[in-house]
Amino acid sequence: MKQLRRDRLKIYMDILLVIKAESRKEKIVFTRIQQKTNVPFDRLKMYLSELKDLDLIQDESSPKLTGKGLQYVTEYEKVLDFMKRMGLTYS
Amino acid sequence: MNNQILIIIEGISATLAFMLVRFMIKPYRMTGENRYLGLPLGFTLLGVSYIFMGVSLSFSDSLIIEKMKWLQLFTGVYAFVFLAVTYYFSAKMPRQKVHLLMQALISLMFLVLVFLFVTLFLPPLFALPSYKTADEYFRLFNMILAIYITFHTLRSHAVKPEPKTILAPLGYALLAFSQYSFLIWSLDSSFSAFVGAHVIRILSLLVFLFVSYKAIIAPQDTAQKKSVV
Repeated sequence: MKQLRRDRLKIYMDILLVIKAESRKEKIVFTRIQQKTNVPFDRLKMYLSELKDLDLIQDESSPKLTGKGLQYVTEYEKVLDFMKRMGLTYS
Repeated sequence: MNNQILIIIEGISATLAFMLVRFMIKPYRMTGENRYLGLPLGFTLLGVSYIFMGVSLSFSDSLIIEKMKWLQLFTGVYAFVFLAVTYYFSAKMPRQKVHLLMQALISLMFLVLVFLFVTLFLPPLFALPSYKTADEYFRLFNMILAIYITFHTLRSHAVKPEPKTILAPLGYALLAFSQYSFLIWSLDSSFSAFVGAHVIRILSLLVFLFVSYKAIIAPQDTAQKKSVV
């Protein structure tokens, strides 16, 4: 099946979802986020810096979600679940 | 059936449809993608079509009744077109094409509304076909679109079956069935088909409301309860 290009928002959300999933670990490593989001290393660094500027993550080197970031991801997950329940796809 | 009861039923349907818009707009607001705009537009137009029908029932002037019913027909059809387009484009097309098509569809809707306004409210320039005949064709068209959406959502459910994803196809199937019942009522004036169509329509809207509640409101309530404990 043809894969559509992800836009920036989708990439941001994918990164934040991985950070949330990995948040139980003491240190979140870059390569883990890179593998799970399928984003090249240099671009991942740029996205993480942008997410920090938006106050969605705490630290670029070992990123953790801020309160605002967690709230945003929770809302995003709810909307994704709603879309899934309504039979809509988001790719 | 008493007109007052029918007006109340149309009012309930419109209220439910407008309540749903609050949830249906969330995918568009969260993703900013035009392909999801059809969902809130569709439910808004459904609500508007129920209002037109309710208004038509509250007048005694046959000329106004006919005008309101024509407006109800067109807004109803556009509602189903927007819903079907949303599902059709939800996975298939690149963003830019969807953006153009959505704009074209919205522009076309305004053109049709202007045409309808000119035809209905200004001194007659064009003669519209019989309302009853148009109503039957439009109901059939709505039913086909609702069946298309039912199969689309059912296919999504079949790809990864989960109990929570079966309710949307059920809701759309009920919406299709209500259009079928309205069609039967239009063809043979069956009272049970008329009552059934209204009841099934409200049921379908309630199903969507339940889906929205489970996805958007229920997790919030659970989180609040957990924080209190």
